[in-house]
Amino acid sequence: MIQAPAWLQILSRSAAALFGGYALSYAASACLARLLPLSAADAVIVATLPAFVFYTGAILWAFASRDAVRAWAPLALAAPLALLGFWPQALGWLA
Amino acid sequence: MKNTFTQSMAWLHTWAGLIFGWLLFAIFVTGTLAVFDKELDHWMQPEVPATEVSQADAARRAVAYLQAHEPQAGNWGISLPTERSPGLRVSTGDRRHGGGVQLDPRTGEAIEVRDSVGGNFFFRFHFTLDLPRNWGIFVVGALALVMLAALVTGIVIHKKIFKEFFTFRPNKGQRSWLDFHNASAVLLLPFHLMITYTGLVIFMLIYIPAGVDALFEGDSRAYFNAQGNARLEQPRQLARQPGQLVDVAPLLAQAEARLGPLGGLNIRNPNTAGARIEIRPELGNRIALAKGQAMVFDGVSGELLSDVPQWRAAPLTQRVMVGLHFAQFGGYPMRWLYFICGLVSCVMIASGLVLFCVKRGRKYGNGTAQASARRWYRVAEVCNVGFISGLLLACVALLWASRVLPVELAQRESWEVRTFFGVWVLALLHAGVRPARRAWVEQLLLVAVLCIGLGALGGVGDAMRVGVVLSALVMGVLLGLVAWRVGKAVPAPIRAKAGRNVEAGA
Repeated sequence: MIQAPAWLQILSRSAAALFGGYALSYAASACLARLLPLSAADAVIVATLPAFVFYTGAILWAFASRDAVRAWAPLALAAPLALLGFWPQALGWLA
Repeated sequence: MKNTFTQSMAWLHTWAGLIFGWLLFAIFVTGTLAVFDKELDHWMQPEVPATEVSQADAARRAVAYLQAHEPQAGNWGISLPTERSPGLRVSTGDRRHGGGVQLDPRTGEAIEVRDSVGGNFFFRFHFTLDLPRNWGIFVVGALALVMLAALVTGIVIHKKIFKEFFTFRPNKGQRSWLDFHNASAVLLLPFHLMITYTGLVIFMLIYIPAGVDALFEGDSRAYFNAQGNARLEQPRQLARQPGQLVDVAPLLAQAEARLGPLGGLNIRNPNTAGARIEIRPELGNRIALAKGQAMVFDGVSGELLSDVPQWRAAPLTQRVMVGLHFAQFGGYPMRWLYFICGLVSCVMIASGLVLFCVKRGRKYGNGTAQASARRWYRVAEVCNVGFISGLLLACVALLWASRVLPVELAQRESWEVRTFFGVWVLALLHAGVRPARRAWVEQLLLVAVLCIGLGALGGVGDAMRVGVVLSALVMGVLLGLVAWRVGKAVPAPIRAKAGRNVEAGA
């Protein structure tokens, strides 16, 4: 396998940390807010409070993962979480 | 990134710490100073008298002044004298946008007070870096996230966390810097984590509006209404008919009995039948931050229209976290505790930055290394001086500017800010042209002298201002000692044992 130059790896991993991390914490918060058995107003707060834990995890993951492609895993994980969080909206778009 | 998890984390800790540490240091220093923002305000505006007038009397005088000068205004804002902020300020329009007139609480007459950004500059810089507000909070939020990542990676790479907790090897060059960085980090790890995370929680719904987007279709007004924060309807019809304003003193007494010490009040549509009196508590009556809370009274009948809401568990949790960051509760002992913890955070960041250079000094600081590596090493060295001692210099220069700039100077506040940034840039340039050690000593000595000399600017009429001057004196002496140590320190001795550098961030 061809190794990308170091600076490109660092750039890719940094982008994965920034954008992948944001996508993950956004999607995870949306998903939690949807699933928590609380009133909507409370669910928003309880779901957003841990958002930065997910973000930090994603940043660490982006630099700990074995290769630079895996670093983008949080972004992939964000998609199904976002689908859960925005389920009614998604159904609305399909209809 | 690297072969093992620990090595990857060490790499991340080192480089993210270096590149973002310079601005993080500025955020932590200004945040630490902002613990005493009101005290600095008071020192920077020596015309404001220190008096002990009851809030009821001060409020009556403020209302009388506004009746005489602004009877037609749509809104009166009154900031009452408090323990930390003995001035009495009245304004029309929105309180947030500053301005207003300082009154003498004893007589209710307007007094001339110099324009000054005050300690509030440190507060604003702390969460915006003086960028436009909406940009600034995102930049600072991103930096806080880096801080959080640096703390977690620091824990990961610091394997012997408990053993080294008790380890300090002074006078050993790089070892000492590492021990110092570790000790200051581990000693107050709960504080570092708390202050960083709660800082992110303040604007969490601006950063990550996912919940509002998912459950309220992105409609933040609907979200606020669901929180029970809906504002009372303003009585537009009644606001056109004249009305007699009720005496505020009994209402203040009623509000104080319910809320504790008060911060101020707003009177909307004064002198109309639709007048409303909103009375705010001081922020520090409880841990949960009471920002935006008020008891609302009818301005004609004095009837209570809306009480402060009881927070449900979830909003209360957020408020308490935000309150833990704002540090308004617990009075002066708590304020000093936050100040000292904040100083330790600053020292941790600074020692980490210095460690980066000390560690590489032998390798890149002399002629044997590659020219490009030497250049980058020099950049790191210059930035370290300019962003650590240079920032301290800029902060104390702002304090001097507030007293030294001519009182009648037009746009005085923006000149103060220009002084702050001007001195900072000069410090960076100075660091660029001087050898690193000389630059450290010279800048730190200058900071020390300026801190110690703060008392020479006079205007120390009351205990609070004396406190500011004495605290600056102590900081100045400490920084002077640091400068003296840096000046006489011999270059780091060669390490006795190589190969133990993994936990330091290779």
